[in-house]
Amino acid sequence: MLKVKLKDITFDTPILVASGTYGYGNEVEGLADVSKLGGIITKSVTRLPREGNPPPRITETAAGMLNSIGLANLGVEAYCKEKIPFLNELDTKIIINVAGTAMSDYIETFEMLENHGGNHVGYEINISCPNVKEGGMEFGVSPKMTEQLTKELRSRTDRILIMKLSPNVTRIQDIGLAAEAGGADAVSAINTVVGMGIDVKKRKVKLHTIYGGLSGPAIKPVALACVHKLNKVLSIPIIGLGGISTAEDVLEFILAGADLVQVGTINYKHPSRGMTICDDLIAFCKENNMSNILELQGQLDK
Amino acid sequence: MAFQESARVKSVEKIAHNTFQVFLESPQISKSVSPGQFINILPSDEWDRVMRRPMSVSGAEGSDIGIIFKAVGSGTDAMRDWSIDEEVDLVGPLGNSWSISDKVPVLIGGGVGIAPTWFLHNELLAKGVDHYLIMGSRTANEHFIEHAPKEKLIMCTDDGSFGISGNVIAGLDTIREDLALSEAKLFVCGPAPMMEAVREVAVSEKIDCEIALETLMACGFGICQGCTMEYVSNGSSADTYRNKFGLVCMDGPVFKAEEIKTCYL
Repeated sequence: MLKVKLKDITFDTPILVASGTYGYGNEVEGLADVSKLGGIITKSVTRLPREGNPPPRITETAAGMLNSIGLANLGVEAYCKEKIPFLNELDTKIIINVAGTAMSDYIETFEMLENHGGNHVGYEINISCPNVKEGGMEFGVSPKMTEQLTKELRSRTDRILIMKLSPNVTRIQDIGLAAEAGGADAVSAINTVVGMGIDVKKRKVKLHTIYGGLSGPAIKPVALACVHKLNKVLSIPIIGLGGISTAEDVLEFILAGADLVQVGTINYKHPSRGMTICDDLIAFCKENNMSNILELQGQLDK
Repeated sequence: MAFQESARVKSVEKIAHNTFQVFLESPQISKSVSPGQFINILPSDEWDRVMRRPMSVSGAEGSDIGIIFKAVGSGTDAMRDWSIDEEVDLVGPLGNSWSISDKVPVLIGGGVGIAPTWFLHNELLAKGVDHYLIMGSRTANEHFIEHAPKEKLIMCTDDGSFGISGNVIAGLDTIREDLALSEAKLFVCGPAPMMEAVREVAVSEKIDCEIALETLMACGFGICQGCTMEYVSNGSSADTYRNKFGLVCMDGPVFKAEEIKTCYL
């Protein structure tokens, strides 16, 4: 009832967990049964290890949180050695999120992953991290660079290639079209929305980097609008994310035009929420006599 | 390994001014928790903030665990109002724990940070290990145990209304006659200024010292990478991960005083 196909891969459910909200899959051992998920998108990996930004890196907001982690990660060499063997054993589909600062850097990381023999089904390319000076955002705001990067990576893999789009652009459709023209199999939308927090008592900004990325239920309407706009112009599938916390949220994204979705910030509070959403979606299909959840697509009466 | 379990509230007791101790029946967590470790709490079913509230465990007995907290915000207000037999969603035990050595333990706690030192105090009592307990607060009504220097229980107040007049450093100075601090190991948890003051003394006098840091956390188990602390630089400028910035939830919350750059997070 929940099976969804993307390229040549069938996902058991349309529920993925978003990059940066599920680590490398091992952290939730004992807290959640990952086999019930469609898949895990692992934390962004870069060519070299990164310490990330100084503290404070997070703050709570109304219906959400701001983060400025700064792509802290162990680097692709350690990722291949330490994480891939574990990920290969997991009973769910793995998509590796890759971040970079320059074309050469994305390509090198990508080639090392591609040649390492992991069982992962695809890649999600982060061209939209708002939290580091060279976090790929120069790609994410430029249709030309997005297309170029997509083409370079496309020529290097037959696995699923997903470009992750930023809402912090003038027209997200232009970036989506560029990814499609470059040969992406799908886009995911959206990454976090740039925001800031201020502590009045201390007269201080709440994040070391001043600006950070807003996530959580607060950004769901922004994300829905982006998915809806992208759906009007793209022919490749859209993976929707931004504030999804319930099965009802998932249904909204499917109605807006998403084929798959990612559950993100809610994982911190409820590491097994993705699994309960799947149960709720099955119940929804049964109640509505649907044989597949995607029958809902195109039913939006605007 | 951490568990997510539905714990049952067994008691809620006001032990000092605006300070509460709660016992929860939590069979899985109580089995494996050690002093210094914490749990991440969903304050209520209707909790609509995106983060749980991390709390150090203040004790474990049979299938129960304890926490001690001050009601200072919407999360801790909800916890103060828990009713007996209410089911509460917990994740834990999380983080590392204190490591006892053959040196004399000197436990230093203050404010909301008394929980892990209280846990260790009771564990040392049960094992019959001789040790000191120094607790600091602003004023008398925040204390919940007696000031008994002969029994190595040393209470301090900033306003001098109870026990030693001054902060925990003044309390620490009172035991120097009995104990050379080079023979002691300090175990510290409390407000940042208190921990920072003890850290400075420990580092300058080369006293063994472990500090349980506190900061904002989203997940508590290494995923969000938000609860960062900074290590004292080891001089390396290589590209590294968790060498300059550690995670309080995974690499801590307990760190050695000499590896912490600052307790202000």
